[in-house]
Amino acid sequence: MRLQMANIFLNGFVFGIVFALFGCGGEKPKVFASLNQTASLMGDLPANPLAWSVITSSASRNDSTMSTLYGNDVASQYARTNPDHKYPNGSALSLVTWTQQEDSRWFGAKIPATVKSVEFVLVSSAAGSPSYSYQKFEGTPLKRSSAEEYRVPADRAAELLSQRGAVLP
Amino acid sequence: MNGFGPGRWKWVALILALGFLGIQFIRPALPNKPVTAELQVPPDVKQILKTSCYNCHSNETRLSWFDKPAPAYWIVSNHVKEGRKHLNFSEIGSLPLAQQQGVLFESISQIELGAMPLPAYERLHPESEITPQQLTVLKNYLNSAVSNRVVTAEEIGSADAEYEKWVHSPSLAKEVSPAPNGIGFLPDYKNWRAISSTERDDNHTMRVILGNDIAVNAIAHNQINPWPDGTAFAKVAWLQQLDGTGAIRTGAFFQVEFMMRDNKKYADTLGWGFARWRGADLKPYGKDATFTGECVGCHIALSKTDYVFTAPIGGQQ
Repeated sequence: MRLQMANIFLNGFVFGIVFALFGCGGEKPKVFASLNQTASLMGDLPANPLAWSVITSSASRNDSTMSTLYGNDVASQYARTNPDHKYPNGSALSLVTWTQQEDSRWFGAKIPATVKSVEFVLVSSAAGSPSYSYQKFEGTPLKRSSAEEYRVPADRAAELLSQRGAVLP
Repeated sequence: MNGFGPGRWKWVALILALGFLGIQFIRPALPNKPVTAELQVPPDVKQILKTSCYNCHSNETRLSWFDKPAPAYWIVSNHVKEGRKHLNFSEIGSLPLAQQQGVLFESISQIELGAMPLPAYERLHPESEITPQQLTVLKNYLNSAVSNRVVTAEEIGSADAEYEKWVHSPSLAKEVSPAPNGIGFLPDYKNWRAISSTERDDNHTMRVILGNDIAVNAIAHNQINPWPDGTAFAKVAWLQQLDGTGAIRTGAFFQVEFMMRDNKKYADTLGWGFARWRGADLKPYGKDATFTGECVGCHIALSKTDYVFTAPIGGQQ
């Protein structure tokens, strides 16, 4: 490896002298070290899912979106050790869905572009009976677009809770 | 001192000329081996590869007249040897089809990032430049070659079995061998923060990129070029499970790759320690420590982003 690097530098040096004489070629597309600003979560959310752990990820070809399911400590630990979907009291899950863009650094890859929605399910349990609170945030900045309470999870709340943890050995 | 008189200049010129003639006898051999398994692609695609890539990436090297005298010859023959080692279109046909395609996708990225053809080579050999139109031809060909294959029942079955095994014993203390370059496995990666995700249609994987506390802190302060010492990333990849409705879920665990910043320790590999473990049984990747040549081969194209492919999403703290 050292030898290879040395070669690269030597070649660069010799060619550098030649090009100083003959000038430069065409411009190449440029890539900069920058954050993916448009994909960050902006708006008032009840919690910050990006500060939680990953449970799994998914994508949709038809919608050209990609999603990551996050969980707080209770939820992510549960998802990694239980094949059931009976999340305990205090579990919080969040599904962040992004529109996609082509990755300028790797042909064939897609990366997050803008936030399409952020969904939450909070599991709380009073006197032994669980309840599930679902909220959805959309728009720029993100604003709450729906909120539901369930005794038995249904609709999107059920979909979030039913996602299986991705294998993380 | 009278300085150099006209007579002395003649001597200098003569010595230089003799020196130039002398070094011509130092000629490392650069044979064209037979073409054994050439890449099979449509003629328009092949024409572009032949003009722009084959001189260094095939057994059909044709040197220009100005590449032949030393010392230019030394540089060019070294380029060709290195080039063939990384990618040889005359022999690539012996690899499995999926792997061939992976190499081609990677090549497009190298072209787009301006890493290939080598800028120095391209300036002396302007005919090797890949025009935007030619790049479109290459991309269209590869995009059409990507299959939208729906997951099979067998694949689901084996992913399910892997999941069942893992979910019932995720923290089972197992011995994970270090990577051949000595880097040890970091089991805590799964509790790091997600900084981005990628869907790769070229190799049908879903990826989540995780960063340790130092990485997350660097993102919060936008100090990501260069990334500070101690930064660590884990890129986790799962096979895609595409169903008939266009939904993609994560299937079997494919691999986890690490990048660890330590400018001194990893000075030979762009200041990053690279390591990769494949499969749910976490088999270290690489026969010996030289496997990092593969990592550097791709990452070196990203000198403008401190050799990092991920543009992180901020806001983890």
